[in-house]
Amino acid sequence: MLLCAENLVKRYSGHRSFGEKHDVVALDDVSFSIAEGKTLAIAGPSGSGKSTLALCVACLERPTAGKILLQGREITGLPERDLRDVRPQVQIVFQDPALSLNPGFSANEIVAEPLRVSRKLTKTERFARGRKLLEFVGLSPRWENRKPAEFSGGQRQRLAIARALALEPKLLVLDEPFSALDCSIQAQIANLLLELQATLGLAYLFITHDLVMAAQMADEIAVMERGRIIEQGEREKILGQSTHDTTRKLLRSALPLNLSRGLKTS
Amino acid sequence: MNRKRAFTMLFLILAALHLIIACAGFFATYNPEEQNRELPFAPPMRLRFFDGQGYLHARPFAYPLRLREGSFDEYEEDRAVKLPLHFFVSGARYRLFGFLPMRLHLIGAEAQVHLAGTDGLGRDLFSRILFGGQISILAGLLATGLALFFGWCIGAAAGFYGGWIDEILMRCAELFLALPWLYLLFALRAFLPLTLSPLHAFFLVVGIIGAVGWARPARLVRGIVLSAKEREYVRAARGFGASPFYLLWRHILPQTRNILLTQAAILIPQYVLAEVTLSFLGLGVPEPTPSWGNLLSSSQQYRVLASYWWMLLPGFALVPFFLGYLGLASSLQEQGAPSNI
Amino acid sequence: MRYALRRLLHALLLLFGVSILTFLFAALTPGNYFDEMRLNPQISAETVKALRTQYGIDRPLPIRYAHWIISTLQGDLGFSFAYNLPVAPLLWVRARNTLLLTITATALAWLLALPIGIWSAEKQGHWPDRTISGVTGFLLGMPDVLLALGFLWLAVRSRFFPSGGMTSVDFDSLHFGGQLYDLFLHLVLPASVLVLSAFPLIVRHVRSAIADVLHCGFLRAAEAHGVPRRPLLYRYALRAAANPLISLFGFSVGALLSGSLLVEVIFGWPGLGPLLLEAILARDLFVVIGGVLASTIFLISGNFFADLLLYWADPRIRRAASFQAPEKTHA
Repeated sequence: MLLCAENLVKRYSGHRSFGEKHDVVALDDVSFSIAEGKTLAIAGPSGSGKSTLALCVACLERPTAGKILLQGREITGLPERDLRDVRPQVQIVFQDPALSLNPGFSANEIVAEPLRVSRKLTKTERFARGRKLLEFVGLSPRWENRKPAEFSGGQRQRLAIARALALEPKLLVLDEPFSALDCSIQAQIANLLLELQATLGLAYLFITHDLVMAAQMADEIAVMERGRIIEQGEREKILGQSTHDTTRKLLRSALPLNLSRGLKTS
Repeated sequence: MNRKRAFTMLFLILAALHLIIACAGFFATYNPEEQNRELPFAPPMRLRFFDGQGYLHARPFAYPLRLREGSFDEYEEDRAVKLPLHFFVSGARYRLFGFLPMRLHLIGAEAQVHLAGTDGLGRDLFSRILFGGQISILAGLLATGLALFFGWCIGAAAGFYGGWIDEILMRCAELFLALPWLYLLFALRAFLPLTLSPLHAFFLVVGIIGAVGWARPARLVRGIVLSAKEREYVRAARGFGASPFYLLWRHILPQTRNILLTQAAILIPQYVLAEVTLSFLGLGVPEPTPSWGNLLSSSQQYRVLASYWWMLLPGFALVPFFLGYLGLASSLQEQGAPSNI
Repeated sequence: MRYALRRLLHALLLLFGVSILTFLFAALTPGNYFDEMRLNPQISAETVKALRTQYGIDRPLPIRYAHWIISTLQGDLGFSFAYNLPVAPLLWVRARNTLLLTITATALAWLLALPIGIWSAEKQGHWPDRTISGVTGFLLGMPDVLLALGFLWLAVRSRFFPSGGMTSVDFDSLHFGGQLYDLFLHLVLPASVLVLSAFPLIVRHVRSAIADVLHCGFLRAAEAHGVPRRPLLYRYALRAAANPLISLFGFSVGALLSGSLLVEVIFGWPGLGPLLLEAILARDLFVVIGGVLASTIFLISGNFFADLLLYWADPRIRRAASFQAPEKTHA
């Protein structure tokens, strides 16, 4: 098992409104695991805690309780210094590339930035790697000096993916990576992600509200509602034989696509 | 494009004005401290091209002034002598930029030609205005640098760390902003020694203006840092292990560039005026070192104000600088971040 | 009501903090202040010694501050060496005069700036707007020192306006109407300088605030309903733009107080400004502290008033202040 999450709880201390305190429980006893090279999709409506889960796995938020184990090693309570060794293994791609890329940086600066932070390479080496990363995600290295505003939405998301690959992670957390993209582009990016997975042996934690996308990308699906996982299992089981209300609602709201013609071949 | 061109033009004009002040020695006609007791409160000499006989001279000239018989402050022109203006003449010694010894002046004549008149001790006002500008403008620039530096550091710390650091720093800022700023300046000045050498006084003035002025820039920088901190690309950078220092340096602080520039354009004229006000009231740079403030202070006397209008000229010297910085601030505000009051 | 109390508490805390700040300035200055006083021939050596023991120079700072704040709250603001009078009554008279000048100038500045700013916003882009922008731009470039001296020069040359002071020599012998007119004549020039220095900035802000609001949908709807022009601009647009303008009001009070310091000195108006200046030059410690505190009280009061005004004008503030219901946040 690459990643194991056990009984994760995340509580945000509430706002003080004239003496009343309201805690928000974003994650309520969540457990799951991801094997190497496999994809787990977490699906659910808004407010179900999916994004919080993504942030916890990517070590950007600390769970209030519970454990996360990466290749058997517990990473939940680690101080920042030790986390620095862990981070390269788990990287995250955010929802809206217009927000997750610094508009003042050039494409190469963006994708090579993780290398700058880990400080192992010289500037020339970094930029050479950056160019390779751009090619890897299907962007021309000639565009390395362009700013994000000069790219289309799909290309920007490719930049975000390239950046996430810079440190050669084993697990990629994808927080609703298609929500900000046009439908036609979604398929392109989805295909790119699948290719990368096949080439690099990456594992994906794929967060989405679109069960159909989840079906096309994932081996296993977990359905979340209000901080809890209400259903979890193999793809076909969830899609075909679910009895939960939420799951069925999600299915109904997704685009009607013929599921047997999924892109994933396993 | 039009806006950008206006901005560049303004910037160049302002830069030219600063250059003139910086090279005060060259543009001045005489040594600002040279006294001439025979010509106290002489009015500005008129430059003429036509002489008494109606002949046109290519080179402008002036008639020297002498005291009218029987009076002690009325002057008449001595039409017998002509003083043509020469350019690039050798005159009083000065040090360009404070260290290059030179004698070259732009304008000069054989005898005393006072383009802006003289003051009570017969010192040439035109030269005093130029040298006074050095003191006042430099004070404004340095004080602004100081205030912005402190404001930037404090605002960034408050915005970035948040929590009780933020609370304390912002409460302090609020305290400083609760006092009308000139009163605050006076309060600080009050408790420091009154009689100081010009050099000490200069740095004291710069110091207190800078020490008082950090509060508003700090608030503005804090606001920017607070919002920049929450940006997704900052979060992304944390995701690949960036240290807080790296985040500040590469992602957050560059966002403060616009507000700092706009604040600089707003504060520089204010702080120049602060120095002028302090020196005007006798609390800033003392005699004999000229500053636009102490050049104006003799105008507080009824006699001087009523009869010697040219003593107000140093006040007018401020106007092009003010207008220039104002234009710069407006154009920066249009381009970039909204700058609050 | 609760909001008002909260803001009042805030204002008082601020005043308290400022008093600490001022006290610290005085106490931490390099060189012993009392040493300088000893050198001053006007103050006898016994007085210095008495003051030293009375104000406990050798005691630790917090105790000195406590002594001082207690006596201040009791109305004893110390003693002025230069005037040989207790500070409080001296301050009171001067403060009244400063208030007269500042309040007149503030009221005039705003009464002029509001209609002009609104008109300018209405005629955005056309010649009235351009002219007004030009004039305000020019005025903003004039340092108030120059304006004040210039006006004084006018007074001296024209001989119509008195060149300084607050009242004429024969003030007491005039009847009430005459006194009022005399006061008015003396007030005109210094107040005009203050108005001219403050009003351009206010006009610009009013213009931009109203211009922002004029584009809003609800205003267009009101226009379509047939609301005539003047109520539309003043009751609707101005109400909507009130928020930033009221904050500006608080700021303008501070700016005008600072400006009045200089103007009072130049015109010889017997307010806090000249008092403070003389006190600094005469090393009259308690007057300086008292003067600074007085001006701070005015500024804080002005801001408090602005806070109350904001509460009245902006329903969002009212709502935020009394919001009771719990808020549900999403993860």
